[in-house]
Amino acid sequence: MSRTGGPAFAVLGLVLAAAVLAPMIAGPSAPARQEPQQPAWDGSRTTPVHLIPLHDENGEPIIPTETNPLPFSARYTCGPCHDYDTIRGGFHFSSLTGRAEGRPAQPWFWADPRTGTVLPVSYRPWPGTYAPDDLGLTPWDITLLFGRHFPGGGPAEPPEEAILSDPEARWSVSGLAEVNCLACHNRSGRQDDGEWAKQVLRENLRWAATAAGGVGEVGGMAARLKGTWDIYDGPDPDDREWAVAPYVKYRTGDFDSKHRYFFDLNYQPADDRCLACHSASPVDEVQWKADPDVHSAAGLRCADCHRNGLDHDMVRGYEGEAADKGDRTVDAFTCRGCHLGEDAAGRRNVEPGRLGAPRPKHTGIPLVHFKRLSCTVCHSGPAPRDGFTRVRTSRANRLGIYGAATWATDLPAVFEPVYMKGGDGKIAPHRLVWPAFWARKDGPKLVPLKPEEVEAAAGGILGSEERIGAVLIGLTQVMEEDETPVLVSGGFVFGPHVDGGVEVLGPSGTTDEGPAFWGLRKGPGIVPLVPDFDPAAEDKDPDIEPRFQELLQALDTVAGAPGRAAFQVRRTLYRFEGGVLDVSEAPEEFGEAVRPGRLVDGKLVPLASGFDVRTVTAKAGTEKTLTEEEVELVLGALAGASENAEFVYVSGGRMFRLDKSGKLVSEKHQAAEPVTWALAHNVRPAQQSLGWTGCTDCHSAGSDFFFSRLEADGPLLAKRPVKRASSSFMGLGGLFQGFFGLTFIVRPLLKVVLTVCAVIVGSLVLLAGLLALGRLAGLVEKR
Amino acid sequence: MLFVIIAVLAVAGTFLALAFHRFWTGLDKDRTNLVYAALLGKFWAWLGRRTKENARRASVKAWGDYLKALPLWRLPVLEKWLFVLFYGSFLYLAASGFFFAVFVPRGLYGFPLIGHVAAGGIFAVCLTLVVVFKGRDFISISEPLELSLKLFDPKRLGLTAARAKRAAFWLFVLAGFLLTSSSLLPMMPLLRTPGQKLMFELHRSSALASVLAAMVYVGMELFEKSRARPRG
Repeated sequence: MSRTGGPAFAVLGLVLAAAVLAPMIAGPSAPARQEPQQPAWDGSRTTPVHLIPLHDENGEPIIPTETNPLPFSARYTCGPCHDYDTIRGGFHFSSLTGRAEGRPAQPWFWADPRTGTVLPVSYRPWPGTYAPDDLGLTPWDITLLFGRHFPGGGPAEPPEEAILSDPEARWSVSGLAEVNCLACHNRSGRQDDGEWAKQVLRENLRWAATAAGGVGEVGGMAARLKGTWDIYDGPDPDDREWAVAPYVKYRTGDFDSKHRYFFDLNYQPADDRCLACHSASPVDEVQWKADPDVHSAAGLRCADCHRNGLDHDMVRGYEGEAADKGDRTVDAFTCRGCHLGEDAAGRRNVEPGRLGAPRPKHTGIPLVHFKRLSCTVCHSGPAPRDGFTRVRTSRANRLGIYGAATWATDLPAVFEPVYMKGGDGKIAPHRLVWPAFWARKDGPKLVPLKPEEVEAAAGGILGSEERIGAVLIGLTQVMEEDETPVLVSGGFVFGPHVDGGVEVLGPSGTTDEGPAFWGLRKGPGIVPLVPDFDPAAEDKDPDIEPRFQELLQALDTVAGAPGRAAFQVRRTLYRFEGGVLDVSEAPEEFGEAVRPGRLVDGKLVPLASGFDVRTVTAKAGTEKTLTEEEVELVLGALAGASENAEFVYVSGGRMFRLDKSGKLVSEKHQAAEPVTWALAHNVRPAQQSLGWTGCTDCHSAGSDFFFSRLEADGPLLAKRPVKRASSSFMGLGGLFQGFFGLTFIVRPLLKVVLTVCAVIVGSLVLLAGLLALGRLAGLVEKR
Repeated sequence: MLFVIIAVLAVAGTFLALAFHRFWTGLDKDRTNLVYAALLGKFWAWLGRRTKENARRASVKAWGDYLKALPLWRLPVLEKWLFVLFYGSFLYLAASGFFFAVFVPRGLYGFPLIGHVAAGGIFAVCLTLVVVFKGRDFISISEPLELSLKLFDPKRLGLTAARAKRAAFWLFVLAGFLLTSSSLLPMMPLLRTPGQKLMFELHRSSALASVLAAMVYVGMELFEKSRARPRG
C-alpha cells in the first residue's frame, strides 16, 4: 500500500460506513411516496374549458348523430390528458387490491331484511368485515350489490383474469363501469346519481357514466339481454318492448360542429359530489333543521382538506395518515395540523392556520384530554346528549337515489357517536353496526351463508308476512273503495302492503289478549269478515250470501294457499263450488263457530297459520324481521339440509344456535361484535362542542358520554337484547367513571379550599421571604 | 423521561448527601488528613455496614415499634391529628405521584388519581395550618449580611444543619404552595394549552422539590434525634 493510499482509503471507508450507517441511525422510515407522472401545471389557477372529443371504449371518436353511437369511455376520452391507469390506482378505485389503506373506513353492508342479514363486506382487510371472495361474491356480484354507489372502477372494472374466472358474470353484455370522472368532477346540475344507480342495476355498466353525467339519454336494459349479446349486435329489431338493447341518444346541443362535447367540470369536486356517497344524517332529522358541517358553513369544500394529486390517493385527514403514507405533508390536513400546527406526535412542525383555520383556545381543558382523545370526540358527530343517534349513511342505506320507488332502507341500523379507541390508542367517535347473518360453524370460525342459501333451506318459514299479505291482497279484489281487508291481532290492525306482505295500519283499540280475526275496515270501524248471524233465519240480510260468494271467490285466487276457501257460520258451511255458492251443514267435528278458513283434508284450517299470525304480530310496531321462533325453525331446517354441520345465526351482539334438545340458545362470539369505523363529520361549532359548558358535559354520575346504553340492534326480535354502556366501548370502567363523575359535585368546594390555602400559604411564604430578606439586608431588626 | 431521570438522580443524590452528612459528622479521626479516595472508600464501607445493620434489624415488628415510638403520638390531640393527616397525605401523594410517573407510561389515572386529588386537598389544608401555627418556629436569621469574602465561606456564613433544616421547611412550604396552585389553576377556566403544559411541568417539579425538601428535613431531624439519644 502506498503512503498516499492510506488517507484515500480512510475517506472512502468513512463514506461507505456513513452510507451504511445513516439509514440505521435514522431508523426505519416509511417508503417514499412515489409521485406519478403528472401533466405539468402552468401555474394558472383556472380550470381549462373541457370542450373535447368523446371516444368510445375502442378509442374511436364518437359522432353523436350517427346511428347507434356507443357510450363515451373515460379511459379514452379523459385518458389522453389525465393518465387513466394512474387515476384508477386511487383510494376510491383500488379496493380490489385488498390493501388495508390506512384507518378502517365504512365497509359495504349486504342487507337482506327477509333473511335478517346485515353482513359487512370489504375487499380491504378491516376488522369485522368479510372479504367478498370468502363469501363467494365475485366482482360482478359486488358490482350489482353495491355498484349503485361506486364511482366506477374497482370491482366494476375488474382485471381480465377476474372476468375470465367468472363465467356466470355478464361483463360481455354489460361492459365495464370505468372510473367515472364525472361522478366527482362534473359541475353540471345534470349529474344524476340516481340515474347511475338505475343503469348499474339494469346492468348497463358501460352506459352508466354517459347517462348519469347527462351527456346522453340511455335506454334499454342489458339485464334482459341474452348472455351471448354483444355490443356490436346492436338493437333487436323484433323486440322493442322487453329485451331492448341499451342505446344512447347524445344531447347534441352540447356538441360543437367538430363533434366536441362541452364538459362543465370542476378541478376540485363540489361538496354535493362527495355527499352523494358520503352523507350521514340522523334518521329522525327534518331536512330544513339539519346543519352542515361547520367547515362547509365557513365556505370550505370537502376537497379543500381531502385533496389528491393525479394518483387520486385521497388525503383522508386522520392523524397517523402521514406515517401510513410516508408523506409528512399530509399532516397539514388533519384537525391538529391545520388548527394547531402539530403532527400526530404533537411536534410543531406543520404550518398552522391553513385556509384561515382558527387556533383553538381550549381554555381550562386539562392536557390529558389531548393525549387520550381525538379532536373529533368533542367536535364531531351528534353530541351524546340523548344517548346514541341512529343515522343513515348514503352507502349503507342507499340514500340519494330518487325515483318512484323508495330506495332508502332502514337496514342496517347505524349508530353514532360510539366512543372507542382507534388504532392510535386515542378515543374517537365511531359509527357502529351490529352484524347479522346466518353461518356455518367451522370450529371457532363462522362462515357466513348467502341469503339465497338460507332462503332455499328455510322453505316457507320466512314467508309469514307474504302469506298473510297474499290473503289480504286477494280480498282486496272485492273491496269497495273505502274498504280495506285487515287482520286484527295482538292489538294491531294489519293491512296489505303495496309491495306484498303486510303493514301495520294502526292499533286495534282492543286488548292485546283477544283472538286474532279477519275483518274489513270501513271508516273508523272494523267489522269481522264473517259476521255472526243465523243462516236459517228468514229475515237475514239478503246481501250477505252474494257477499260471501265474492269473498270466497277472491280467497280462492290466493296463490299457493292449500284447499278451498270456506266460511263457517254456526253450523252452516259456505263454499264456492262449481261457480255457485254452496251452502251446507258443517260436519259435526267442526263444532259451532263463526270463522273463515280453508277446507284441507276435510278439516277447516285457518286462513293463516298460528305461526304466521304469531310471527307477524310479534314483529308489529318494530322493524325486526325475524323472531326467535323463526330462527329456531330455520336453524333446524339448515341442519336438516346438511348433515354434520352446525349452523348459527348472529344478531344483536349474540350468536344463536340450537342446543342438543333443539332449543334456541345464545352466547357471545367474536363474530357477533359490532363493526365500527371512525367518523369525523359533521364538525360542530365550538359552542356545541363537548366541554363548552364545563367538565360535567362528560364527567357527571349519569353523563350520556359515559353511561348511555346502546341496545344491540339487529333484525332479530330478541327476548333479552344485549345492552352495552358507552364506557365499555371505550374500554373504561363504568364504576370508576361514575365515581369520578361524582367527585365533580364536590369539585367547586375543592377549588374554594385550594384557593384559600394557596392564598394563605403563598402570603406567609412571601412574608417569610420578605422578612428574611429584610433581616439579611439589615432593614428589619432582630426581635 | 428526562424528568424521571432527573427525579431518580435527585432523590438518590439527596439520600447520599444526607448519608454523607451523617458519616462526616460521626467521623472520629482528623478528617483533614484523609485523601478523597480514602474518604470515599470509608464512606462506602460505612454505608454498606449501616445498610446491612439496618436490614438485619428490619422487621414488621421493628417498624411497628419504631412508628409507635414516634413523638408524634405524644402530641396534643389536635396537633397529633394535624400531623397524622399531613404526613399521611404527603406520603400518599408522593408515593402515588412518583410511582405512576416512573413506572406507568400513561401516568396517574384511575382510582389512585381520585385518591391523589383527595389527598391533595387534605395536604393543602394541613400545610396551611402547619405554616400558620408552626411557621414561626422556623424563622431565625442571626445577623445581617456583610459584603465581604465571608459570603463565600459556608462555615462563616453560618450555614448550620439547623439552618439547612429551616431552609428545607420553607422550601417545602414553597413547593406546597406551587403544588396547590398548579393543581388549582388547571381546574379553572383560565389557562390555555400552553398554560396547562406549564402548570403540569410546575406541578411535577414542585412535587420533586417538596420530596427533596422533606427528605432533607426528615433526614436531619432523625439524625439529630439519634445523636441526642443516650447511647446504651
